[in-house]
Amino acid sequence: MSEAKAVSAGRPETGLLSKFVRSDLSRPTTLISGILLLLIAASATFAPLIAPTDPYDLATVSVLDGRLAPGEEMLDGTIAWLGTDGAGRDVLSAIIFGLRTSLTVAISSALIALVVGLAVGLTAAFYGGRIDAFLMRIVDIQLSFPAILVALVLLALLGKGVDKVIIALAIVQWALYARTVRAAAMVERRKEYFEAAICLELSNARIIWKHLLPNSVSSLIVLATLQTAHSISIEATLSFLGVGVPITEPSLGSLIANGFDYILSGAYWITFFPGVMLLATVAAINVLGDQLRAMVNPRLSR
Amino acid sequence: MNEGLARRMSAAGQPAKGTPMLAFVLRRVMQSVVVLFVMSLVVFSMINLVGDPVDMLVNPESLPEEIDRVRRDFGLDQPVHVQYWKFLLGAISGDLGKSFIFGRPALALMAERFPATLELATSALVISVTVGLPLGVYAGLRPDGWGTRIIMGGSVLGISIPTFWLGLMMIIVFSVVLGWLPVSGRGETSRFLGIESSAFTLDGLRHLVLPATNLALFKIAMVIRLARAGTVEVMALDFIRFARAKGLAPRRIVLAHLMPNILIPIVTVLGIEFGTLIAFATVTESIFAWPGLGKLVIDAIVNLDRPIVVAYLLFVVTLFLVLNLVVDIIYALLDPRVRLQGDET
Repeated sequence: MSEAKAVSAGRPETGLLSKFVRSDLSRPTTLISGILLLLIAASATFAPLIAPTDPYDLATVSVLDGRLAPGEEMLDGTIAWLGTDGAGRDVLSAIIFGLRTSLTVAISSALIALVVGLAVGLTAAFYGGRIDAFLMRIVDIQLSFPAILVALVLLALLGKGVDKVIIALAIVQWALYARTVRAAAMVERRKEYFEAAICLELSNARIIWKHLLPNSVSSLIVLATLQTAHSISIEATLSFLGVGVPITEPSLGSLIANGFDYILSGAYWITFFPGVMLLATVAAINVLGDQLRAMVNPRLSR
Repeated sequence: MNEGLARRMSAAGQPAKGTPMLAFVLRRVMQSVVVLFVMSLVVFSMINLVGDPVDMLVNPESLPEEIDRVRRDFGLDQPVHVQYWKFLLGAISGDLGKSFIFGRPALALMAERFPATLELATSALVISVTVGLPLGVYAGLRPDGWGTRIIMGGSVLGISIPTFWLGLMMIIVFSVVLGWLPVSGRGETSRFLGIESSAFTLDGLRHLVLPATNLALFKIAMVIRLARAGTVEVMALDFIRFARAKGLAPRRIVLAHLMPNILIPIVTVLGIEFGTLIAFATVTESIFAWPGLGKLVIDAIVNLDRPIVVAYLLFVVTLFLVLNLVVDIIYALLDPRVRLQGDET
């Protein structure tokens, strides 16, 4: 495993992207996932422009529109293609806005975790010895608990809110990044250029920043992709359990939770469609991530 | 999903070269005690920053004197460090405090709920092996078949699909539309061979099927992947070729020669993952209103029932520390390579 990483780590990063684009087009599932993800990202970014109605504008949302089946017409004449929820919000619009929250949470937590994980992993790999043993023991202990459980406990301590969920997810993920980057950096350490850098008596900061970091980063890209999918899922689960994002700023998870109250009365669409969107997003990212991994680490692909 | 595997692959937590087993175990036990202590300290101090549980306990119109009385009754009028000290003294003698909501010892409440969670997790484990193993072996034996494509595609979907949402969809299909299975609760339990379980009554089984399947889903995908990888690996080995050359029936090769060899890693990983099942049960239990530990703690978080949250946390941390230690010891005993590898690869 580590040798394969060493091979890939030597490659320049620009090659990865162009290679990805080329092989991307050669496989239909990857192509579909890529297009799907682009669409999802675009609609999340331009949510206010795309969504047919503003689901959180109390002036336009009317309880009289409550629980319309998909395709029915709302009071103001717009057609609710995916139905409306109990409070009369258009489900389609709610999903588009919900995607926004979900993606924001997942991406920002991944970025924070990435930075912290990089710092810890590189420190451990560079200094080795007791510092390494201590840091990696913490990583081990943290990783021996399932992510969902750690996040749950953290939110029990921090309380609800978008910022709290981001913090909790970042704490859940950093250890994984730290371990991955350390493994890659340990391999780099044994290479000749590293010895050369030490011999030249470059400063520690410069060696870590200019040499260790760029060469250890490729395996992290894969991890970050897959982790983003994972954290979208965790965030949705937490919000569903009622400890994540509050309903005033709904994510896909809180939309599904909201629909939970109506499934027994047969209004399946309130919870069904946000779930389909969640599944599509996570699956698309997973497919692309697997493809990336196969390229970064050719030995894993069969 | 491969967290468990990745965890095992790194040898960092394993006994280092030349360390005697007893010293390793002792050091790990000491570490575990430190982890438990730090966790309890962090959790106890942080949980006191979130909300005021007294608000949840008293009627909003109560008189200030009454609110003060409730506060005093639960010892919430004292500074946090005093509260923590009392908690610690109690914890050493096996008393983790009383639930604010139920007014009963947290430990007793958890002990009451635990069998239901254990039952759910065990059923999920059984389901994931009985479904996942044959599918995975099939996929490994016919790597290019259509069946394999469907199975592997399904397993990718199984990993991507949010478990809680699938649970809701199962309720819609099997309970609301078809009306075959009950929506929630545990159903009737009965006692058999000294074990109280809902698996022994028809009503209990009907209640168990949906939650157990829901919880199993993630693990099914994992077992499929493990079994497939194992099969592909083992089938290429010499002793299988020899068995084939001898003219053994394919069925016998699979059952007598392939199975024993792929089962060991699968069983090990599932053993490690049992803890995850208990953790994920919190989600499944909330969906199906299954009266287990998970539901207890989710309700406790929402209701600011601090003693339950703290007790649950300590319980889970202990569970995982013990589980991991046991697995590491067994690994070191079974596989001498683990001991020889040392700390770094």
